[in-house]
Amino acid sequence: MHPAALAEAAAFAGVDAVAVCDHNSAENVGAVERAAAAKGVAVVPGMEITSAEEVHIVGLLPDLESALALQAKIYRHLPGRNDEKAFGMQVIANEFEEVLGFNEHLLSGATTLSVEAVVDAIHRVDGLAVASHVDREGFGIIGQLGMIPPGLPLDALEVSRRTSLPAARAAYAPRGEFPIVCASDAHEPKDVGKAATFALLGRPTVPELRRAFAERDGRFILGGGRPMEDLALHILDIAENSIEAGAGAVEIDLLEDPAADSLVIEVRDDGPGMSPDLVAQAQDPFFTTRTTRKVGMGLSLLAEAARTAGGEFAIDSKPGHGTRVRASFRHSHIDRAPVGDIETTLMVLMAGNADLNIRFRHSIGSKVFALDSREISAGDLPSRLTRMRELIRRGEEELQVQSPRSKVQGPKS
Amino acid sequence: MNVAQAAQEIGGKIVIAAEQAAAREVRGGYASDLLSDAMANAVKGDLWVTMQKHVNIVAVASLNELAAIVLVNGREPEQATVDRAREERIPIVCTPRQAFDVIGILYGLGVRGRRMD
Repeated sequence: MHPAALAEAAAFAGVDAVAVCDHNSAENVGAVERAAAAKGVAVVPGMEITSAEEVHIVGLLPDLESALALQAKIYRHLPGRNDEKAFGMQVIANEFEEVLGFNEHLLSGATTLSVEAVVDAIHRVDGLAVASHVDREGFGIIGQLGMIPPGLPLDALEVSRRTSLPAARAAYAPRGEFPIVCASDAHEPKDVGKAATFALLGRPTVPELRRAFAERDGRFILGGGRPMEDLALHILDIAENSIEAGAGAVEIDLLEDPAADSLVIEVRDDGPGMSPDLVAQAQDPFFTTRTTRKVGMGLSLLAEAARTAGGEFAIDSKPGHGTRVRASFRHSHIDRAPVGDIETTLMVLMAGNADLNIRFRHSIGSKVFALDSREISAGDLPSRLTRMRELIRRGEEELQVQSPRSKVQGPKS
Repeated sequence: MNVAQAAQEIGGKIVIAAEQAAAREVRGGYASDLLSDAMANAVKGDLWVTMQKHVNIVAVASLNELAAIVLVNGREPEQATVDRAREERIPIVCTPRQAFDVIGILYGLGVRGRRMD
């Protein structure tokens, strides 16, 4: 554990907050909080607890004090001492990269607490209990127990990077039984931000997340995915560029034609357009006019992804005429990036830009699902988000049902 | 009996560290699918019968100096498990048989559990 390196990685990944969830302990949370504060990244204290049945449950905790209280309880129920040769050193560090000590508890072991007792312990300190990586067999609740025990008061389910949100919803919460979140499950700084959850919150805190899980007071879980990998999040990135440049309307096309082995994404805006110099610069990985992230790699990464998958990338833009970004791919190419969760794209765009006109079109072969945000202009933001989500889910489901794909591209799709 | 012989008796194939398999004596046996339980109770020289195939099984086998890991029900180790087992030179035996039968066969040949109560 490297609090300073973790904070740096989080800032670079451009996330607003990280939850620090060491196995069965929270010794390093304070140091990460201090290191991250200097980088403008919020920290949610957390802990990934191993139940007696070897199920991993993440506790997201309101503050350091509750994290340490939970830690004390976990230590009381955690047998064994660490063996550094077998399991590595369990470092306790501060934000200045100084090692303060080594944790002697067997943090990689299992507590003697049942999964019900773990969830209860988390709730007693006003935390949120999230079942970790339910899509993984090892240490996942479904893998270990065969099911989610009926009545277990989990606050959310988490899926790993291997599983897209649409697939996760269909498999684990088809009737919305639980909110589903994504996380990187980073065990090293380089993996921070590889998957993320998008939420509409007042601040990145546990009480706010609790409201978002329950969709109360206008707080929402908007979705999630793998930034800079999922095409849905590349589309989000491009649309956000458009908005920052002053666009009031964005048209998004996701055109799949498995028969022609083609996948095209196109984003058009009515913004001010770009000069030829700016168009060239926009594809430079080190150029950005955005102030939210240090390096604006989005467009160059997308261009690379298109070329890798046997496709092309182009930006058409003229000052005063708006901008069109187009990326094409061979649909069946083994390295073609997954589409990810287009619902997330549209929800995040609406949540962050109340007046934005979004026109979305998704086609598979000759079947089309189209959505215009002007149809959803009545009511407050939460009701518009709910309405749009209904329309997207229904539309996407009909689209998929009508068009059985000739090939299934791995588990990610 | 060494691991290679045991593998043959249970109709299994040694997928990792075959070279080590012949050299390792089977002194006893342990069966569990909870890693924490195996860590606490499997002893040096035991053959560990399990269906868990993720990478952490290698750490347990290494820590407790087990003779080998036997994966039942036709399960195969994950790639990370394969890589780690190669590094640590821990034999992994894969058998299509279920645990109950595997243990029965080995017990019939004289292999016993050795956990002290």
